[in-house]
This record gives sequence, C-alpha cells and structure tokens, in this order.
Amino acid sequence: MIQFKHVSFSYTGEEKSLKDVSCSFEEGRITLICGPSGCGKTTMIRCVNGLIPHFYKGKLEGEVLINGWHTSDTPLQKLSHHVGSVFQNPRSQFFNVDTTSEIAFGCENFGMPPEEIIRRIEEVVKQTGLQDLMDRNIFQLSGGEKQKIACAGVAAQEPEVITLDEPSANLDYKGVCHLQKMLALWKKQKKTVLIAEHRIAYLLPYIDQVLVMEDGEIRETYTGEAFSLLSEEELHKRGLRGKTFENAVTMELPPVKDNKDRMVLNDLRFGYPGESMLLDIPGLELPKGEIIAVVGANGRGKTTFLRCLCGMEKRCKAMLTYNGQSWNRKQRLKHLYMVMQDVNHQLFTDSVLEEVMISQEREDKEKAMEILRLLDLEDVAMRHPLSLSGGQKQRVAVASALASKREILLFDEPTSGLDHRHMLQVADILKQLKEQGKTVILVTHDGELLKQVCTVKISLDAKKETQCQEIKHSVIRKYCRLPKPNSCG
Amino acid sequence: MDYKVNLKPTSLIDPRTKLLLLFVISVYVLGGTGGEKMKVFYWILVFIPVLLLLSDRRWKLFLISVLVYGCSFVAQNLLQGDLTALQSVLALTVYVFVKFLPAVFMARYIMATTKASEFIAAGKKMHLPDAILIPISVIFRYFPTIREEYGSIRDAMKMRGIFMGGGKASQMVEYRLVPLLADSTLIGEELSAAALCRGLEVGVERTCIWQVKMRFLDHVLIGFCILTIFWSIFGGLFYDPI
Repeated sequence: MIQFKHVSFSYTGEEKSLKDVSCSFEEGRITLICGPSGCGKTTMIRCVNGLIPHFYKGKLEGEVLINGWHTSDTPLQKLSHHVGSVFQNPRSQFFNVDTTSEIAFGCENFGMPPEEIIRRIEEVVKQTGLQDLMDRNIFQLSGGEKQKIACAGVAAQEPEVITLDEPSANLDYKGVCHLQKMLALWKKQKKTVLIAEHRIAYLLPYIDQVLVMEDGEIRETYTGEAFSLLSEEELHKRGLRGKTFENAVTMELPPVKDNKDRMVLNDLRFGYPGESMLLDIPGLELPKGEIIAVVGANGRGKTTFLRCLCGMEKRCKAMLTYNGQSWNRKQRLKHLYMVMQDVNHQLFTDSVLEEVMISQEREDKEKAMEILRLLDLEDVAMRHPLSLSGGQKQRVAVASALASKREILLFDEPTSGLDHRHMLQVADILKQLKEQGKTVILVTHDGELLKQVCTVKISLDAKKETQCQEIKHSVIRKYCRLPKPNSCG
Repeated sequence: MDYKVNLKPTSLIDPRTKLLLLFVISVYVLGGTGGEKMKVFYWILVFIPVLLLLSDRRWKLFLISVLVYGCSFVAQNLLQGDLTALQSVLALTVYVFVKFLPAVFMARYIMATTKASEFIAAGKKMHLPDAILIPISVIFRYFPTIREEYGSIRDAMKMRGIFMGGGKASQMVEYRLVPLLADSTLIGEELSAAALCRGLEVGVERTCIWQVKMRFLDHVLIGFCILTIFWSIFGGLFYDPI
C-alpha cells in the first residue's frame, strides 16, 4: 500500500512539480499515471522509488508512505528491496556490460547467496523468454532489448512494488508487446505496479486505476474500465496518445500521386564486423518531396540504414542518384542531413543563432533569423542550445539543416517519448518541410505520426531474404482503409 | 529450452593477477625501473599481454602487436651508435612505442575480459574499500559509453561539415567537448539514480555470482611478478655488467 498525503515538491530553483497531491495505491493493482509532458508524473514515480528526496534535491512537503514507512526516513538501500524501477532511457540504466551480470546486479547488491541469484535469473529468463539475450554485451543490444533486460533485472529482485517511467518511449511494436507480457506476469503475481506514460493504448487491458495529471495536480481519477471508454478526442485533450495500438510495420498508407520525380538508391550493403549482413538493398526508388517512413523491428537496422544513407558509415558504399547527380558516401555527407534521436550530439555552439550560422555557406544573420522565425525559435535565438527543451533542440537541428540548404532530411525517431501535443508539433514541422519541397525520410515506431504525415513506407523486414525482394520491386504504396485496431499476438 | 547461467570465468586469469601484471608492466616496462639487468624480464613482460590477447582470440590486436614489436626489435638493434637526426627521431619513436604499448595492451585486455562484477568481487577479496571499488567499476561501464557518445558527435560534425582545418579549427575542441560533457553528465546522473534504485550502496555487504578464484596460471604469473620485483632489487648482487 502506497499513500501520498498532501505531497508537494519543487526541484531546487524551480516551480512546484507536485501541488498538494493526495492519493493511494492499493496492493496488487496496476495504476497508470498519465498526462502531458511536464505534468508531474515522473516526479510522482520518483517520490515512490525514493529518488525524491534522497537523490533529486528540492523541497518536499507532506508524506509518502510505503507499507507504512516514510520514504524520507527510509534509506534508498532499504527501499530498493521493496520498490523496483524501470526507467525511460535504456542507455543509462545499466551498471554492467554483460546482460547476465546486469540481471544479477540488484540481487547481488542485496547480498543474496549466489545460488539463489542464479536460480532467480534462470527463472526470470524462462518466464520472460530472454534466452537469446543472455551472455551478450549490452552495448550491442537495441533499445527495446535493453528495456527487456531492465525489466528482467527488476523482476529478479522480486519487489512488491514496481515503478515504470515511460518504459515504452523507445520501443517498437514487438518491444511493447513484450512489455505487455511483463505486465500480465506482474499482474498475476499481484505486484503493485505504477506506470507513468502517455502512450496508453498498450496498457488498456491491464490497468485497474488511472490518474490523469496536469500542472502537478491530479485532475481526474478513473477505474481502468471507465478510462477505456473515453473517446480519442477526450484523450488528446488530456495530452494523451490515441487508443489504438498500431503496428507501424504492418500499417497501410493512403496512395500518393504517381507523377513525382524519383531518386534512386543503389547497392547499399552493410553489416557490422563479425556479424552477418544487416542491410542488403540492391536498388530502391524513392519519390522526391514526400515524407517517407522507414519501419521495422527494434534491432533490425533502421538507424543503421539512415547512417548508411547519410554517409556516416565508412564501410558502406552506396550510390544515391538525385536530380541526375550520383552521390557517393562523401557527397551524401554534404547533401543529406540527419536529425539524430539524441539531438544533444549535434548541437555544438553556445547560441541558437550561431548554431544556424555555422551551417550556412556564407554567414548571413538576416537569413538565419528568417529560418529561426519559420521554426518559431526567434525568441530563443541567443539562448544556449543545450538549455532548451527537447522539442526546441530538435527544431534547432532542423534550422541548421535548412540553413545548409540540404534537400534531403533524415530523422531518427523524432517523436519517441513525446505526448500528443508535441507529436503534432513535430508532424507540423515535417509537413512544413514537405511544403518547401524537401524530401524527408524518418525512422519511426510511432503509428500515430505515421498516420499523420507519412506518404511512403519502407519496411525493413525481419528476414533479410524477403526484405530484399520487397524493396527491389516496389516501395510499398498501398491503398488502404483506416488501420484495424489490433491486439498483440 | 531452459536457460542455464554460464558460470565459466571469462578469462584465463583472475582479476587480481591482471592488476598485478598491469602494475609490474607499468613499473618495469613503462617506467624502465631496474636498468640493464632487467633485460630478460623486460622482454617477457612485453610479450605477456600479447599472449593474453591471443588467449582471448583477439587475432587482430595480436597480429598488430606482434608486428609492431617485431619491427621495433629489429629497429632497436639497427639504430645504434652514431645516428643522423632522422634516425634519432625514429629510434626515439620506436623506443616510446615499445615502452607504452605493453601497458596499453594489458589495459585493453583487462577491459575486454573482466566483468565489472568480477572486478568488484576480486577487490572485495583484497579488502579494498567500496569507496574505491565502486567508482572504478563505474569506469568499466563508462568507457564504452563515452566511446559511443564521442562517435555520434564526430559523425554529426562530419555531417554538418565541420572539419579540422575548415576555417573553424579553433573551435573544434569546444565543439567536441561541450556536447560530450553535457551528455556524460546527464548519463552519469541517470546511471547513479538507476544504480541506487537497485540497491547499490557503499558499505553494504554484496555478493557476486561470478567465482573469482586463483588457478594454476595465476600462480605462475604471480610467481613471475614476484621474481621480477625480487630481481630488480637484489639482482645487482648476482648480475655482472659486462
């Protein structure tokens, strides 16, 4: 049993993230905490797992009780026996380099006898079907696979309470299905589960209780059933994503007009050293001036495809023919622009304006400001790029791409972890780029974004053989109805 | 199919032996302690990391190291006596190479074949305090991260057309370091939060599923290290420089 009694919290030097929150979470129930970005759901989770007040400093008022203990008086080490946590970012929740050690890590910290830990690992692996991921280097796993290991690590600790903070942000359809299996298992084991999330479709069958938050307050409380009766519009109004759980890979798209110019990609072959061929694309025709989605399972090589296309992978020698010019790797580096999933990697300077100006052939402040105005960044022109919000950083990267006059823009998961409003913002930017005649190629799992903006789809199939054929003959341009709501098989 | 945890140790030797070897190599090869009388030990120490890399089937590194050592051995013998300026520079380069590489290879071998968890267990057996062990084990985890981050930043710079000598050379260092630092700080913070939530705490008794045990090869290598140290101190009594 977890209780919040008049809890308020503000991070040092910031406004209140939680305002007088009172609620309780009963044993053995799965609760969804949802709401738009910045509504305080992550803060709620941190109050439960004890990171507030033990790790994130700030002003905490009121009491958080877990099984009757005050979290502020209970050391994290003791809390960690009872509360397990899965975080949003798969890159930064690992302490070990190999998967087996990682699952063992929590139990080892509790000082359990090795035989018991090994028994638990074997059991968890069996329950969750992780055989293939064992004894591997975590750095070689995809985001979704990392998240599976994180869940398994928590499961091995066998806590009574499990908190998950936007666990699906980086997952594809299959990864989300796996997460569902984990939830089903936890539900059966009568764990108390708290999930903060705005992709809610996959959770609907499992949740018992829903808290809708806004501005640090709980605005509404629903039972799981009542919540699933809300309409799409009502969900969007609350900053939430839609109710249908869509598989970006199998989703079909409306037709595009066929009179477009095309660009041709030839002989793209790539495999990481010591591994089998990951991508083998003899020829691929893509329409110009469209928004093209690249879909496929986690770990299938979508990001690698973008990296190859953009010329970042040295060992990948492909040719791209655009407007009658053939571009090799080095030329593609100059003509294509990729907005990375982690935008922090590509912002270097100390002001937004400068960021745009270093991309211009000849520095021209007027033009730079014009681009910033277009992307609604004028007000922050003098700010340091790293001090901006995630969405703004993304737009700065787009601005620098526009400044460098590139015709083809690549996006890697532009909407992972975004709520409905921010997703629409990204969609708007993509449409704007299209209007300007740019070709946009984006990797995504996000069915809703796909439905919003994409007109063409490239699927990287699980089996290489089929992928190759599929792509050789046609870019998939099928006529379709609205996607069926589907469940996980 | 049921999964069984594979408890076979990752490498031939114990983490403690690895550390001792790294120490001895640093002192006697990199530091050059002991002078002329250590020549035999010196060359054995140079080749131990190479053999270890071979045992871990790192063929490429093994071949490179053999080649480098072979060439430098020949070069060192050729480049003696009166040297021209160019030859002296060459000789110096070769000298520095052979001095540095064994320690580098040894460190590579340790990073590649030691699990962070094994390392902590071995440290515990040596009664090292947590305050030292935990930060060191984080380094194991952090190196690959920094490499990943650095790689992405480098790629992004290439794509944005920011090259060395592209007229913006003075800012190159800043451009590289600022995002790297910003990112590493963030990852570091999230990593600590995750580790704390999983019960990592200084001063709390911890177990380890990996067995750390000294075996035959460990005893041989440790014996050799002791002999090296012994010879460097007392060797002078028996060694007669010609």
